Amino acid sequence: MTNDRPVDALLPVVYEELRRLAASYLRRERPGQTLQPTALVHEAYLRLMKDRPERWQNRAHFCAIAAHSMRQILIERARARGAQKRGGAQPRVTLDEGLVGGESPSFDLVALDEALGRLEQLDAEQARLVELRFFGGLTIEETAEAMNISPATVKRHWTMARAWLARELAGDRPV
Amino acid sequence: MTPERWRQINDLFHQVTELNDAAREELLTRTALTDAELVAEVRSLLAAHRPEDGFLEQPAWAVAPTLAFDEPLARAGAMVGPYKIVREIGRGGMGVVYEAEDTRLRRSVALKALPSEYATDPVRRERLTREARAAAALTHPSIATIFALDELEGALYLVSELVRGETLREELGRGPIAGERLLSTLIDLAGGLAAAHDAGIVHRDFKPDNIVRCPDGRVKILDFGLARAPASDPRLTQDGTALGTPGYMPPEQLAGQDVDARTDVFAFGVVAWELATGTHPFGASAAQMLEHLLEGRAVTAIAVTLPIAGLEPILRRCLRRDASERYASAGPVLQDLQALRLTGAQPAAIPAPVATSPGTALGWWQVHQVVLGVVIASMPVATWFVRRWDPRMGSWLFLVVLALATISVATRLNLFFTSRVNLPHLRDQRRRVYPVMAGAEAILGVLLLASAAMVAGDTDALASVLVTLAVATMASLGVIEPATTAAARIDSEVPHR
Repeated sequence: MTNDRPVDALLPVVYEELRRLAASYLRRERPGQTLQPTALVHEAYLRLMKDRPERWQNRAHFCAIAAHSMRQILIERARARGAQKRGGAQPRVTLDEGLVGGESPSFDLVALDEALGRLEQLDAEQARLVELRFFGGLTIEETAEAMNISPATVKRHWTMARAWLARELAGDRPV
Repeated sequence: MTPERWRQINDLFHQVTELNDAAREELLTRTALTDAELVAEVRSLLAAHRPEDGFLEQPAWAVAPTLAFDEPLARAGAMVGPYKIVREIGRGGMGVVYEAEDTRLRRSVALKALPSEYATDPVRRERLTREARAAAALTHPSIATIFALDELEGALYLVSELVRGETLREELGRGPIAGERLLSTLIDLAGGLAAAHDAGIVHRDFKPDNIVRCPDGRVKILDFGLARAPASDPRLTQDGTALGTPGYMPPEQLAGQDVDARTDVFAFGVVAWELATGTHPFGASAAQMLEHLLEGRAVTAIAVTLPIAGLEPILRRCLRRDASERYASAGPVLQDLQALRLTGAQPAAIPAPVATSPGTALGWWQVHQVVLGVVIASMPVATWFVRRWDPRMGSWLFLVVLALATISVATRLNLFFTSRVNLPHLRDQRRRVYPVMAGAEAILGVLLLASAAMVAGDTDALASVLVTLAVATMASLGVIEPATTAAARIDSEVPHR
């Protein structure tokens, strides 16, 4: 992810497309179904890129921008919602809404974002991988393709990053 | 933590996760003898390592789609403050729009629910309030009037005049607008924008979807006062730059730089071009515009004929890539359009367009390609008969002519189809293939003249066919093609760079 101005300009464009698609998915959705994660990114990619995909940098570039857009918008909204509910101080939102059957534990999205920022300092590649997987919705194989590393390496990094982030969120850092 | 330390932690962590409990404990105990700190770190990670708990396995926005995508929804009949929702009439980047009834005044209004960020973020809220206040002061027949900015049930709502009719986007779906109706529409739109610019207000998202044609035939611009600051980009939020719609955004807005009245002038140029021709001036989809931005390339308006003489230079000046070359605001655009209506003359200080409009000339250029393709395709047929006079030479001649003619015809067909389906790339494409094509055709001309000389005297009919084909090709290469190409402006960079 570079910080070039054009990329900055792409973020809202990609997000707008994602949101437009998601809104139509959600409207069509029947109770009990969940949003198909990768289908959304794929469709946004196809729509935005169908003219000349080869002229755009590449698919990985797109996925990285989509994931980064998602991260920014979700964190910003989580912050706003937290502020709304709690009247301002220390916004904290748990990521449990929309869950069916409570398969995953709820956790704090804003805290996750902060922890991811710390992971970035330690290991930029692992942080990028988490962004692609968790915020971009890519599978192990797609992440491998986007990062140009093997699926096995993705799995190893993913296992480690997950454990590290889980520990950060639990708050028990060894001294 | 050093990178080296981080690597050690990673290595040991992966090593022990693959072991069973006993072997893991043994390895950790052994390693702790030399590096207790490392083992403590890895143990705490192992404690957090629960592969089956589903942590982070679902993408954030699949787990919380409402957080990611949804706006607060109001149902028909529901009351929001004093407003009774009638129905949802639109949905866009700035939220959901409802038709509602103001129960106090008994009048219909458009109620736009703004994203929650505007209610909670004091900076944004302040800016939105300021813009809405300024826009509410605008009263112009071409602008939908803003009535209020209300906070209701924790969310912000922009209340404005309900404009019934169809959007210009829908109208465009039936094709371009012609003649007097086009000119009066453009004058109305430029008038609305000019009034806003005079008051220091920039629309930032001027496009056919934001313009409604009322049943009385007049047009109204919607959504003034909504700087569409995207939630996803803090930098844009801070400096107040707004997100528009790709395809209507000038380069400086795409690049995230400051926008001013000239941004609207560009968008006006795009909309006007679309209304006049039914096509986008850059043949652009969002992806193509982004591509232009990414590659720093100039966007080039495609060559078509505008239905009103004198309109093209005005629109081309609106569409300059460089903001400083555009009209400074919508006011002078309005003046030029009014001058055009009054006199039908060219506005001052703008060079007259060339005699042949590029649209017609492009048609002739295409005809030229097809005719020449047919001429060249007939060359192998003509040389086939030369074999009777000299079988060996004739066969070679036929094969060489066939090969060269195939190259030439294929290239011309390629250019022809490029001009039909992908006009913006025609210039580059032609520059690439022209030397090969022209070379092949020059050799063809020489070969045909040579074979005409071979058979002349024996069969003057064949000789004259060969000479005719050769001369036609050479005349085309030397005279006709440069003329049609120049007239169609295929090789020049119009209109802005």
